[in-house]
Amino acid sequence: MKKLILILLALFLVKSPAFAAIDWESKGMQIAGEIIANPAGFFYDFQQDLEATTPLPPGKSFGIQTSLFPTTIPMTYTNASLKVRLHGEGRIAPGVPQLDLIGGYWDMLAAKMATKDSETVDSAKFGGYYAGAIMSTSVSPRVRTFWGYKRSVLKAKLDFKAGQEPEFLGTKVNSFDTGFKDDFFIAGIETPKGINKLWSIQLNYGLNTQTFSSKVSWYGKYFELGLNIFPEGVLVFHPVWNFHLNF
Amino acid sequence: MKKLLLSAFIAAGLAGRLCAASAEDSKIFTPFFDMTLSEAAFLPSEGNIFSGGNINTQVGLLSKITQKDQLFALYNFNYSGAGFAPQDSKQFTDRSMAHGFNLEYRRSVTDRIRVRPGVGFNRGYSRTGANEAWKNGLYNMNSAGGQLAADYIFDEGKNGYVTLQYLLRTVTFPNYTDLLREFQDPANRASVNGGLQDQTMGQVSLRPAWNKFFGGVTYTVQNYKNQKVVAASGVYGDTKQKDTDTMLDFGFHHRLWIFEMYPMVSYTMHESNQNFMKYKFLGDTAPEFAASYYNFKEMNLSVPVDLNITSKWAIGGAFSIQRRAYDKRYARNADNDFTTEKQVNTMTTLTGSIRKRINEVAMVRLFGSLIVANSNNKFEKYMPYNYTGNSFGLAYQLSY
Repeated sequence: MKKLILILLALFLVKSPAFAAIDWESKGMQIAGEIIANPAGFFYDFQQDLEATTPLPPGKSFGIQTSLFPTTIPMTYTNASLKVRLHGEGRIAPGVPQLDLIGGYWDMLAAKMATKDSETVDSAKFGGYYAGAIMSTSVSPRVRTFWGYKRSVLKAKLDFKAGQEPEFLGTKVNSFDTGFKDDFFIAGIETPKGINKLWSIQLNYGLNTQTFSSKVSWYGKYFELGLNIFPEGVLVFHPVWNFHLNF
Repeated sequence: MKKLLLSAFIAAGLAGRLCAASAEDSKIFTPFFDMTLSEAAFLPSEGNIFSGGNINTQVGLLSKITQKDQLFALYNFNYSGAGFAPQDSKQFTDRSMAHGFNLEYRRSVTDRIRVRPGVGFNRGYSRTGANEAWKNGLYNMNSAGGQLAADYIFDEGKNGYVTLQYLLRTVTFPNYTDLLREFQDPANRASVNGGLQDQTMGQVSLRPAWNKFFGGVTYTVQNYKNQKVVAASGVYGDTKQKDTDTMLDFGFHHRLWIFEMYPMVSYTMHESNQNFMKYKFLGDTAPEFAASYYNFKEMNLSVPVDLNITSKWAIGGAFSIQRRAYDKRYARNADNDFTTEKQVNTMTTLTGSIRKRINEVAMVRLFGSLIVANSNNKFEKYMPYNYTGNSFGLAYQLSY
C-alpha cells in the first residue's frame, strides 16, 4: 500500500510544468475575507461537527455525545448532545421505522475568557443549539437508511473596546452581531464496517439558506471519526473526533 | 445552457438507471439510495490553488401496488462545485446546485413490455465566484414537465431491454437578464427582463442495453419563448431561437480477469439558429457579425480501468478527452480578431487513483489528475482556453 501511495505521489505531486507557485498569502487573505464576510457561516460549520445526526444503534434507548475535535479543541466549543429513542424499529408493527429525538447545545469558552481577560474585546457571545428527529429503517440486514429533520440556531456577537478596534484590510472592525438559523433535511445511509463498527454517509441540507454538507463517519462503541465536507464553506474539510456512549 | 443540456442528458441517462431499479419480489417497498461525493484541490498553471467538489444524492422508493403496477418516487440532489471545466462552458469558480423530483408510474402490459408515464420537477441554482446568494443566481432555473417511456425486454437473463422515451419540460430562468441589452438601453426594462432564456424542451431517446453494454441516440430540441435571433444588421429579428442536439453514445462495464473497465464514448451535434455580434470592446461602433456561431460537433471519450489487486484494493487509471470543433466559429488571436481557422477546443485528462472497497455497498477513492486544455482560440481575457492543471482529491460512494 505504501508503495502505491508513493507511486501516486511521484506521479502527481512532483514539481511539473503544470504547477504554478501557490500564493499562500493571497489564499490566506481570501480565507480571512470569507470569514469576515460571513462569520456566522464559518462558525456554524463547526456546530455541524458536533451535531449528532446519526440514528441510535439498534437496541439502544438513549445516547450522549460530546465532540472533541475540531470543536472543543481548538475552537473551545464546550458541547453536549443527547439522543433519545422514541420508537424501536418494528416495535409497534413490522416495518415501522425507528424514531429518535436528537438535540444539543454548545458555548464557546474562548468567548467567555476573552470578555473577562482581553484588553481589546468588550463582550463576546458565541453559542448555539439544535434539535430534531431521525427516522431510520433497515433495508437489508447490513444496510440502514435514515432520514431526519433538525432546527439549528447559532448566535455570534463580538464587541471591541473603543479605541482598541483591530484593522482588517484597512478597515476598522468595531463589532459584529450575527447569527444563523435554518431547518435542515437529513438523508443518510449506514452500513457495518466490522463488529460493532459502522460507516455512514449523509447529506444535511438547509431549506432556507441552501447551506449543505456531507458527513462521512466511522463509529464504534466509544468514538466517532468523521470527515465533514463543506463544499461552500471557508474550510472545506473538517476532520472530526467525537466521544459517545449509548445505553 | 450547458447546465440545461446536461440535465437533459442526465434525464435520458436516468431512463436506463430508473428502469434498472427493480422491486424485490417479496417486498412492497424497495428503497433506492445512491450517494457519491468528491472533493479536490485544483492547481492551475495560471492562477492560485482552489478547491471544489461534487455531491450527488439520489433517494428513491419503489412501491409495488400490484404484481403489474408500481410507483417509483425519486429525489435527486446534485451539487457541482468549482473545478476545471471544458472551454466555453463555465468559469472555474462557477458552482451549481439542483433539486429534482420525479414520480413515475410503471405498468407491465405484457411480460416483455412495460410503460412508464411520469412527471418531473427541477429547481436549479447557480453561483459565480462572487459568492452571490444562491437565490440570486443569474442562471437559476425551474423546470416542470412529463415523460412517457416504454421498455421492451428482449433478454431477461442478461438484462437486455430497449427504452423509447419522450420527455417534455417547460423551463424558466426567473433571474435572467441580458447584461448587454441592459448596458445598451438601461431604460428599457421590458426587453431586459422578459424571460429571454425561457423555453420548452422536448427530448426523444432510444436506448438499448444488454449484458452491461449500453448506448443510444438522444435528440433534444429547445424552443426559446422570447429570445430572438440576432441578424446581420446587429439587431434582433423576428425569428425565435431554436437549438437542437443529437447525441449518440455507447459504453459498457465489464470485468476481465482483474481488469474492470467502464469506457464511454459519445458524439454530439449541436445546432442553433442563433448568430453572434462580436464587440471588440465596450462601445464598439463596428461590431463584427458571425453567423451560426454556436454550431459544433463534440466527441467525448472516457476510458477508466481499475486493476483489482485484491478483493478490497484496486489501482485505477483513466484517460478522457473532449474535443469540440465549431462548424463556423473562427478562432480569435490574442488581440480578439478572428483568424482564418475554425475554433477547436480539446481537453484531456489523465487520472491515477487508488480505490478501497469498504464493503459491498461502499467505496472510497483517492485520486490525482493531470489536465491539459488546448485551443486555437488565443483570446483568453475572460475565459482560459489553453492551460494545464493538476487536481488531487478523494471520493466516496455508497450505493444501495
